[in-house]
Amino acid sequence: MTWLTHAWRIARRELRGGLAGFRIFLACLALGVAAIAAVGSVRVSITEGLEREGRNILGGDAEVEFTYRAATDEERAFLEGASAALSEIYDFRSMAATGQGNQADRALTQVKAVDDFYPLVGEVTLDPPLPLEEALAGDGVVVHPVLADRLGLDVGDALWLGAKELTITARLVREPDAGADGFGLGPRTLVRSAALEGSGLLAEGSLFETEYRLALPAGTTDDQLDALRAETAEALQETGARWRDRRNAAPQVERFVERIGSFLVLVGLAGLAVGGVGVSAAVRAYLDRKVGVIATLKTLGAEGRTIFAAYLMQVAVLAAVGIALGLILGALIPLAAGPFIAAQLPVPVALGVHPGPLVEAALYGALTALIFTLWPLARTEQVRAASLFRDATGPARGWPRRRYIVALGVAAASLIGLSAALSGIPMLALYSAAGIAVALGVLILAAWGVRRLSRVLARTRFVRGHPALRLAFGSVGGPGGEATAVVLSLGLGLTVLAAVGQIDANMRAAIDRDLPQVAPSYFFVDIQPDQLEGFLDRVENDPAVSRVDTAPMLGGVVRELAGRPASDYDHWVTRGDRRVSFAGALPEGTTIVAGEWWGADYDGPPQASFAREEAEELGVGIGDNVTVNILGRDITAEITSLREVDFSSGGIGFVIVFNEAALSGAPHTWLSTVYAEESAEAAILRDVAGDAPNITAIRVRDAIGLVTEALSALAAATSWGAGATLLTGFVVLIGAAAAGERARVFEAAVLKTVGATRRTILTSFAIRSALLGAASGVVAIAGGALAGWGILTFVMDAPYRFEWVSATLIVFGGALATLLAGLAFAWRPLAARPARVLRAQD
Amino acid sequence: MILSLADVSLSLQGNAGMVDILHGISLDVAPKETVGLVGPSGSGKSSLLMLMGGLERATSGAVEALGNDLTAMDEDALARFRRQHMGVVFQSFHLIPTMTALENVATPLELAGIGDAFDRAAEELEAVGLGHRGGHYPAQMSGGEQQRVALARAAAPRPDILLADEPTGNLDQNTGEAIMDLLFGLRDRHGATLVLVTHSQDLADRCDRTIRLVDGRLDSETRRAEAAE
Repeated sequence: MTWLTHAWRIARRELRGGLAGFRIFLACLALGVAAIAAVGSVRVSITEGLEREGRNILGGDAEVEFTYRAATDEERAFLEGASAALSEIYDFRSMAATGQGNQADRALTQVKAVDDFYPLVGEVTLDPPLPLEEALAGDGVVVHPVLADRLGLDVGDALWLGAKELTITARLVREPDAGADGFGLGPRTLVRSAALEGSGLLAEGSLFETEYRLALPAGTTDDQLDALRAETAEALQETGARWRDRRNAAPQVERFVERIGSFLVLVGLAGLAVGGVGVSAAVRAYLDRKVGVIATLKTLGAEGRTIFAAYLMQVAVLAAVGIALGLILGALIPLAAGPFIAAQLPVPVALGVHPGPLVEAALYGALTALIFTLWPLARTEQVRAASLFRDATGPARGWPRRRYIVALGVAAASLIGLSAALSGIPMLALYSAAGIAVALGVLILAAWGVRRLSRVLARTRFVRGHPALRLAFGSVGGPGGEATAVVLSLGLGLTVLAAVGQIDANMRAAIDRDLPQVAPSYFFVDIQPDQLEGFLDRVENDPAVSRVDTAPMLGGVVRELAGRPASDYDHWVTRGDRRVSFAGALPEGTTIVAGEWWGADYDGPPQASFAREEAEELGVGIGDNVTVNILGRDITAEITSLREVDFSSGGIGFVIVFNEAALSGAPHTWLSTVYAEESAEAAILRDVAGDAPNITAIRVRDAIGLVTEALSALAAATSWGAGATLLTGFVVLIGAAAAGERARVFEAAVLKTVGATRRTILTSFAIRSALLGAASGVVAIAGGALAGWGILTFVMDAPYRFEWVSATLIVFGGALATLLAGLAFAWRPLAARPARVLRAQD
Repeated sequence: MILSLADVSLSLQGNAGMVDILHGISLDVAPKETVGLVGPSGSGKSSLLMLMGGLERATSGAVEALGNDLTAMDEDALARFRRQHMGVVFQSFHLIPTMTALENVATPLELAGIGDAFDRAAEELEAVGLGHRGGHYPAQMSGGEQQRVALARAAAPRPDILLADEPTGNLDQNTGEAIMDLLFGLRDRHGATLVLVTHSQDLADRCDRTIRLVDGRLDSETRRAEAAE
């Protein structure tokens, strides 16, 4: 392989020139790699933290959960036998009140009623710093500061839960197992289960969960944990009991982090693609400068492959430097941002350096560098020695040899395959890759279109006599120039930002603006059957109430669908608790789209009606069986009809409704939605809760506020990702502006010679920059709108509406960014003396 | 006098410090006169031409063109002065690569606010024999063609003064001769003053007066009549 040795010698000598001309190349690659490495490091830190801290987060080695019931004596005996220590927790929503009757203030709270053994692991921190046993002794209750502040209560004040008066003994500072709990609508209240006797809460049919935390002997291995899990499944089968252990202590947090992490890596890949444009432009410019050297080497007998290898080696060395910089940056960012990230999460996180994500980011970086430089590198083979004897204006243009195109395809396929495999969301990764490829294709076309249009416009009568305008059009449309690099890099960066903007604005609009128009004011839950009449009497006779819907509700767990266990399905319907309902006659407003509804008096074998969309997603239909465990008993029914259920309106909607006879004998409560004028909401809550303190009221406006808050955090995280992409776009933009500076210096010198003032020249520079920025922005809006529509329609299943404000900001931002970058590099051309510039070129 | 230089010196910053280029040059050029500037490489010919065009600033001394003191004008005033009174031709043509031939020629006319800039530019291109190449970019043209476009651009605004810096330096002999014929033809047609920097004694001999520079100083001056003798 002598030619490789020769190539390396040539590469080494060429690299002696240093890295000065490759700042943009290095910055583009380093930024893209850093963003991906940082996101990956944070993700791995959190998931490893969840694994390491699993026992503390869960509050035990394992947990068995029952829905809407406590364990029976036999079940409890089994759990006690299986563990070294057992703790029982009731978790439910309720109203916390300052007193009784209509004058009391009330707020929604998430109650955790515990026994003497809680917590099995970790410690509860209180303010004042009392031991928990002391704080919960007698009728003592501990509340989250947010709840205390909302109700204006302090330590020593009375707090009512249902019909029971309790005394606040401390504020809750830290709950060791908070990360194991899911998304809660209300702040926490901690109380002894025994203290709730006489409260009227936890009655039959009301909504609550019981969690049995198991502490196992020290040194219990994962294999022993698996064995115990199997034993529990056997002993508690068909009871609806669910198992969780220290290895998946906080599945909701873990799932959220995995998803958002994967999504941000995909956004990072878009950033790397933007960086690739800069890398490609830098290599092209470098090779353009090297045409003379390449031709000389050919004259001296170097073969095409030697020259290709020599320049590929140079690019590889530079890429290695860029990737290394990116990895250092990507490893340091999470360490620097550690305290901020940790504060956002309900679980303990120790951010550190992890080799896995760094290797992943390095692979992405290396493949991106290869993909974006292979084409210009391949063209070095086409430079002819004869270039030396003519004007060398750059390497030959045209298609590289087939082997390079195949290599390019293999590299691109590897990058896409790798991202699909490592992201954990392969379909989204493939769609994203396709999206980026299409966006790049569209942007190349757009750049061509802008140049073509500018060339045409430069020759129209409309610009004649306006030299600044014609010069701008002429330079955008003329040969060479920075149009393609600017439109590609800024356009792709802005497209990602526009897509995020469109999705965020649509989601906000749907939840913040549209939902309150159609959603009810309150969800009332846990209405006991004997309270229904009194409740309806209050709300239906209120002139401020426009509509009241009610339905019986039971809590269950889906165990089987169409003969397969629920765990086989990865769908929200089969995860966690599932509220179900029953009905005799077809409820008003229900639309059956397939099958037939049972009659009002039907009392045959159990039948079920399934929500159409969810049935399609799960792949079940008419004739299939569904088994739901309700209060420890499996109910199996045949699906005989499919209904349209609109969950987006915030009204009552059940995925599964059984026939009345199948469930009416089971203990149940009623759910009611009340649509009222905002001014009447407070009075309704006062009266309903005053008469029946066990009824829990969920104010939709508050829930919307919480969802909006969560959405804002999500949008902020995504915006940071998109921001990194845009930052890379700006680097490429600055690189393009810097690369074009030499040409502008010359142009300004000639223009001054033929009589142009600096104002005319500056105006021309400004117009061309703004023109390219605006063009990038317009393409970005089209691309962002398309991506936003696709993601909302096909992934989020939400309606899409074009959001003008976000779009206008993007175009304006694009134009402004290029304008500023252009003007930043206009000073030298304007200041240079024509004679010196022009003579230097002679 | 249309051009008048009085005790002009020029020093420029080089890598090793200040370099003195011109030393106390005094020179007058009469209207419609053709002047050839000759001398060895580095003698300061081109720098002197640049001073006359206001493209370079004298370190000391006075440069007047059409009675205007160029040393007192700022960059923009100089640009406006050139657009009305001067045309410059360079050895390396210096066409703007992003503009077609026609656009290159039309630019000074547009800058001067001439309404039919493109029609006149087309006429000028026709006059240099490139009427059919108006839509071509510089990179698509030969050196000789590019220099003809540059000539058309310089002559288009009908300048009072034409400054040419070795306009045939980058061209073969035949093409160079054709370019010089065109240059003198344009000068004759428009009656402009021509100052020409050249290495060629033959070309210098076509001028009314030849000034020789050596080491940044005026060395000798020859009038055509004297030369003929």
